[in-house]
Amino acid sequence: MSATDTLLDVRGLRVDIPTPKGILHAVRGIDFDLKRGETLCLVGESGCGKSLTAMALMGLLPRKALRTADRLEFQGDDILSLPEKAFNRLRGNRMAMIFQEPMTSLNPALTIGQQLVDVHRQHRNVSTKEARERALFLFEKIGVSAPVERLKQYPHELSGGLRQRMMIAMALMCGPQLLLADEPTTALDVTIQAELLRVLRNLQEEFGMGMILITHDLGVVSRMADKVAVMYAGEIVERGHVHQVFNRPSHPYTRGLLECLPIPGRHKHMAHLPSIPGVVPSLIGDLAGCAFRQRCQYAEERCGEADIDWQQLPDGQGYRCILPVSSYGATSEVSR
Amino acid sequence: MYRYILRRSVSGLLLILAVSLATFFLMFAGGDPATRMAGESGSVADIIRIREAYGFDRPIILQYLSWLGGFLTGDLGRSLYFDLPVSSILVERMFTTMRLGACAILLAVAIGVPLGVAAGCHPNTKIDRFALLFAVVGQAMPTFWFALLLVIAFSVTFPILPSSGLDSWKHYIMPMVVLSYFAAPAIMRLTRSGMIGVLDTDYIRTARAMGIVPRKVLMKYALRNALIPVVSLAAAQFGYMLAGSVVVESVFAIHGAGRLAWESILRSDLPVIQALVLCFSLFYIVLTFLADVVNAWLDPRMRIS
Repeated sequence: MSATDTLLDVRGLRVDIPTPKGILHAVRGIDFDLKRGETLCLVGESGCGKSLTAMALMGLLPRKALRTADRLEFQGDDILSLPEKAFNRLRGNRMAMIFQEPMTSLNPALTIGQQLVDVHRQHRNVSTKEARERALFLFEKIGVSAPVERLKQYPHELSGGLRQRMMIAMALMCGPQLLLADEPTTALDVTIQAELLRVLRNLQEEFGMGMILITHDLGVVSRMADKVAVMYAGEIVERGHVHQVFNRPSHPYTRGLLECLPIPGRHKHMAHLPSIPGVVPSLIGDLAGCAFRQRCQYAEERCGEADIDWQQLPDGQGYRCILPVSSYGATSEVSR
Repeated sequence: MYRYILRRSVSGLLLILAVSLATFFLMFAGGDPATRMAGESGSVADIIRIREAYGFDRPIILQYLSWLGGFLTGDLGRSLYFDLPVSSILVERMFTTMRLGACAILLAVAIGVPLGVAAGCHPNTKIDRFALLFAVVGQAMPTFWFALLLVIAFSVTFPILPSSGLDSWKHYIMPMVVLSYFAAPAIMRLTRSGMIGVLDTDYIRTARAMGIVPRKVLMKYALRNALIPVVSLAAAQFGYMLAGSVVVESVFAIHGAGRLAWESILRSDLPVIQALVLCFSLFYIVLTFLADVVNAWLDPRMRIS
């Protein structure tokens, strides 16, 4: 891969949040990279640090949270030490983000048109008319009915699905190279979910954007991802191409997640739907050894003794486990 | 928006009608007005004469309609104490109080809103602590005491400001400061808490994520939403300043409507009291109406209901 193909290069990203009980290590040194036009899905349970990772990339962490990294490069530029003012010129321009809550993510006091035009005019030297034309162009791509009227409407006059389309339009106003989507369809009903995912996929292909899609829904991952990074307790525990991770999970947590997927015809009753027992450990203070070991049915004593090294396979897949699924004789195929 | 204003005006007019009815019956709240006007030494013949002279012997609905008609044409009856038309006494006094109140509320907003924004944007910092101290002092200090302190400081120790009357702009300064320091703390606090709440919302996060410059996020995206409750509060406080400025008007010897109301109550000058109550209520209703219109402009969601 050539250097220009790499959109995002993240090494050792950490997010630490001071709390009254101690420092909460919400993101514990994660590595990944993203190429142009590629989709990376960040998967994990609530509280595993996937949203904070996105906020750290956007420079939108809460004021008291501390972001550190060994390397944080966007299109070859170091954005770790970028001053706030310069970072603000990236946001909404070369990188943009859409959020989970379409009902509350748009300003209730301003029309859709005002908000879209503001974003465009913030970063481009264009007239209001040109900005509106850009919005209408995007509405057509996104499949918005009655586009001209939409510009005059207020968010409360629109449905959830339509509001999320407006968010997508707003994020794409300046044609960003990187789009971060934090559970963009979770709050919507299933039919709209499918439609919006298709829209996102099409736009990504058309504009050649890199996309980081945060989700806990493995169904979404299988439809959207090129690469997957599975997060647990602030760490990436497994990473690889989607077919590698889905077909040959190495980390017991990944395997557990995949086994929790309901398969039509197999899990007829809720009682048969497997789940991973236990809860995510507290992230305050240091975690020695594997963070997943208390919930892992294969854990041994040595899992808690030292930090677990990253195992990188030559084909691009990697995991953080000393007892990967293949090692204990079980078939590495998820039993389906 | 225009339909909202129209609807709101109709309900305002109905409210005014209801208030006028209540005010009219104030006249009869203390028993037969003719007996009261005749006084303790009045004979039965006096009472009957008064009753005929003032039309108290007519059916009550007719009395109300003629009183309302008089009010609409500017005839508010005659003051029992001054023996002058109420309107000739009232208009001047109302304007004095309104002018003072308007200056004071503007000053209160000019201080309270920026201070509240600064405090709300930087909670638990020095500026926030200062703003809260400013508010606590303002709310804890009795108005008359603060007024007297100012008089001692600026009229006695350093005689640079006049202590009584309202003859020049200099006369306005102290009463205005006292009245506005009474109103500013609540405005500051509401702006501060509104700002803290709004800055934490998803749509402000969106504006930041879109790279909108911080000043614009603050002034256009946040302030507009944070000010919605402040508008209603400021309107209510302006109304209160008119009726409740008795203390300030007494300390600074200002012949305003508040003082007139107080004196008229002492003198049982019912026509004046009636007219004042109606004027204050009218003013209050108009202010609330204006506040609602401003809020509907600020927040489109209010235009539906």
